Amino acid sequence: MSVAGSSSFLARAWSVCAKDAAVELRRRVASASVLFFAAACLTLVSFAIGPFGVPPDARETVCSALLWVVLFFSAATGLPRAFVREEESGTATALRLVSPAAPILAGKTLFNFFLFIAIALVTAPAFALLLGWRIAAPWAMCGVLLLAGFGLSVVSTFLSALVARASHKSVLFVLISFPIVAPLLLSAIAATVAASRGDVPWTAMRVLVAYDGAAACGAYLLASAAWDE
Amino acid sequence: MPTTIRAEGLARSWGERRIFSGISLFGERGVIGVAGENGSGKTTLLKILALLLRPDSGSVRVETDGRELSGDSRRRAVGWAGPDLAFYDELSAAENLTFFRTAGGLPAPAADIRDRLARVGLAPAAGRGVGAFSTGMKQRLRMAFATLFDAPILLLDEPMIGLDAEGRAVVSRTIEERRATGPVLLASNDPRDFERADQVIVLPPPAP
Repeated sequence: MSVAGSSSFLARAWSVCAKDAAVELRRRVASASVLFFAAACLTLVSFAIGPFGVPPDARETVCSALLWVVLFFSAATGLPRAFVREEESGTATALRLVSPAAPILAGKTLFNFFLFIAIALVTAPAFALLLGWRIAAPWAMCGVLLLAGFGLSVVSTFLSALVARASHKSVLFVLISFPIVAPLLLSAIAATVAASRGDVPWTAMRVLVAYDGAAACGAYLLASAAWDE
Repeated sequence: MPTTIRAEGLARSWGERRIFSGISLFGERGVIGVAGENGSGKTTLLKILALLLRPDSGSVRVETDGRELSGDSRRRAVGWAGPDLAFYDELSAAENLTFFRTAGGLPAPAADIRDRLARVGLAPAAGRGVGAFSTGMKQRLRMAFATLFDAPILLLDEPMIGLDAEGRAVVSRTIEERRATGPVLLASNDPRDFERADQVIVLPPPAP
């Protein structure tokens, strides 16, 4: 791709991201449902477990796993809407007429990434506070959230394009996404456990970087097959 | 040399039902009407020409100076408007056009977008959310979308639907402006729409 080509790609991707943000700010459907789901999960977990419900030696592992369960399912209520909404509202036709699939996928991935960061910014501190969970290496934790959030956004957005025209979108999305994101979530949980103990989880973070790279390359190469007729 | 569109041996089925087969056409300038009964495949044919659908067999070529266009140059060479072309209800008419032009890889100066909306009679509603538009206003916006990249080839599927007299005049004026520089393919159920067509392709009735 030439310099002009890549700047055009980025400008297009950014315009799609900005459009999705403008639509979301005016409708507030995805953000409201995601935040409500996260709040409901947090409330249930904090009432059921609370600060003293987990033995101290299992604390890091249980809290890390629960945090990622909350984040994953909260994200799963909003992120897959990226392409499904375009198909349901009929705007997908206009998008296909003006742009190739890859910049659209990149723009929607970017928007989903920002949405995930917003979810994580609200959920993770509230989760730590309600469960009395101290994360000893918060900067490592931020790195884990960014890396795992990016991978989750790439995969969710790509699968959203893939299932957008299917008849049972939600079921199909969950069935396909679980085996694909399982390695990402396991690495994220392992990295979160290490970060909460005060270690920098280099190995798990390297796995996340490799996952993100492979997912982004795969999504870019297969964008047209997933989105075009 | 003008930009031309050439289709050869197009065929398409939906499931087991054959919609049409053996459709060939060539457009260089002027208006080509596409007529036929409901279900004969007028919309399907125009979508295939716009690359929104793939034919089961046959090919479509868009050429300038004998060179086949592809990628962005192909996309920008063909403008399409049809009843199932939808816009973002949460955005204004101007925001919709601005977004689609930038997503298409071209700048969208505010004055240019205002001018395009004025040409279809939507200047007073430029800042209004499309969700509050009437059927006729949405149809005018579809015309503005079809000409957003100044495509030399226009594919218009039922462009007069839902329009008042003024709206029909807008569509007629657009067609008259464009027919001199490139082909305009016009699908319609109303024979009056073909009064000024240079040729009319009549699709055979749908198979039972």
